[in-house]
Amino acid sequence: MFRFDNRQQVVNLAGVRFGGQPGEFPTVLCGTIFYQGHNIVQDEDHGVFDRPRAEALVNRQSELSETTGNPVVLHIYGRTSKAFERYLSFADEIWNGPIIIDSADVNTRISMCSLVSELGYADKSIFNSISLATKAHEAVAVKDSEVDSAIVLAFNPTDSSVEGLLRVLQDGTGDKDKGLLDLARDLGIINLLVDPGVVPLGNGSGSALRFSVVFKAKFGLPVGSGIHNAVSAWPWLRKRSREERLCCGAAAAAMQVLSSGDFLLYGPIDYADFIFPAVAMADIMIAEAVKDLDIWPVFEHPFHKLV
Amino acid sequence: MKMYEEGNWPPFRGDYLVGSPKSRIAVVTLASNLHIEGAAISGSCKTENLGVEKIVANIISNSNIRFLLICGAESKGHLPGDSILALHRNGIDENGRIIGSHGAIPFIQNLSAEVINRFRDQFQVLDRIGLEDEKQINLLVKKYSACGEPYPIEPFQVVRRPIKRMDPIIEGGDLLLGAGVIMNTSAWMVLTRGEIVPI
Repeated sequence: MFRFDNRQQVVNLAGVRFGGQPGEFPTVLCGTIFYQGHNIVQDEDHGVFDRPRAEALVNRQSELSETTGNPVVLHIYGRTSKAFERYLSFADEIWNGPIIIDSADVNTRISMCSLVSELGYADKSIFNSISLATKAHEAVAVKDSEVDSAIVLAFNPTDSSVEGLLRVLQDGTGDKDKGLLDLARDLGIINLLVDPGVVPLGNGSGSALRFSVVFKAKFGLPVGSGIHNAVSAWPWLRKRSREERLCCGAAAAAMQVLSSGDFLLYGPIDYADFIFPAVAMADIMIAEAVKDLDIWPVFEHPFHKLV
Repeated sequence: MKMYEEGNWPPFRGDYLVGSPKSRIAVVTLASNLHIEGAAISGSCKTENLGVEKIVANIISNSNIRFLLICGAESKGHLPGDSILALHRNGIDENGRIIGSHGAIPFIQNLSAEVINRFRDQFQVLDRIGLEDEKQINLLVKKYSACGEPYPIEPFQVVRRPIKRMDPIIEGGDLLLGAGVIMNTSAWMVLTRGEIVPI
């Protein structure tokens, strides 16, 4: 528990604030819906899904947010642009906060950018992500859209050390001749959220935690991760009980918060009930620990709501 | 000649099942979880970088294996199947990029050119990307499991590179822990009254 010497930027996205000193703002929690293999989706290509169950999941995340004070973002994964269009229409009816737009398919991501711009959703949308995988035509699509918020993925396949991740952001590597932070700014991204890109346990997953502290100390920008990926990619844990897996997921989430994470891509939205208490608890402990360092939790912080 | 190190093969952990190490075939099922019988090793692979590296490191450490069957559903965006094919066909460039791969971030970090050459020489790759029918896959495995001769050179053991240690260069702190204790995040060192406490 600590205070950064440099100024910590706070990004305000549709009323949700990311960043600041550890203990100042509650961690933003982003649950993923319609992800690959999500059991509420009947047809991933056409976006056919069980609407009542989807609504219940989104509402549950919102309820937990109201209870704990941890703001939320709806992370929408779309396999195709057609599916995403349906998901966005659904989200438009029941959710008015920020969304993360995400797909493994580059053409779908391009369509997402133009669709949210056309529908006036761009100011609430966070593009996932600007990375070494961002090709020229995708970059043009982001630039031409009205999307001005993005996750910048620092994943470096040739050097997974903290220094390697920083190099991707600052100097570029592979076929990128400039760092991803500059590239994102060139594409019109104003609100930068940085994600180290968590690799499996044994491949350097812990670097994401140290990176979070180092990056905030150097750049003062909001940082967070999908640390649940380290948990879900752990073959040993996969053979254990559901309770054990959820326990590890919640513990990993709290570890990212303790390592100065400002936001957390906590994985399937179905896990909200396990993640929110763990993160709220970590937020409270941090807030208590940094009081002596002249950092005060904001009004809606779990510190004021739950203790 | 020892074809593989008994009790220590495969050397790298991962999401796979070991069958008969004397079989001539290894199977990668990409994003599908399939039940494979008769292969030396079988398992999924969802990433075009770390996942591919582990496969290569594990299979070249067994000279019995001569065929790599790639089947199952391709992992969208990452395209590990396409990346393995490209790696086998073209190798890597000076930056470690798999030449000709369409995957998102197809870089090889931990394997030398020598390892890649060994992989390309030892293996014949069977491209059945998209095939998820276990019956058909197991027929292919049966066909190739006793096909041909072992690779006539000793198994190749990939050694993990030791992590580079940093020489701490301390120039003040950028993170305050209170009570006069500060931290320099670049060196990842905690400093107190001029003393350095590694953490």
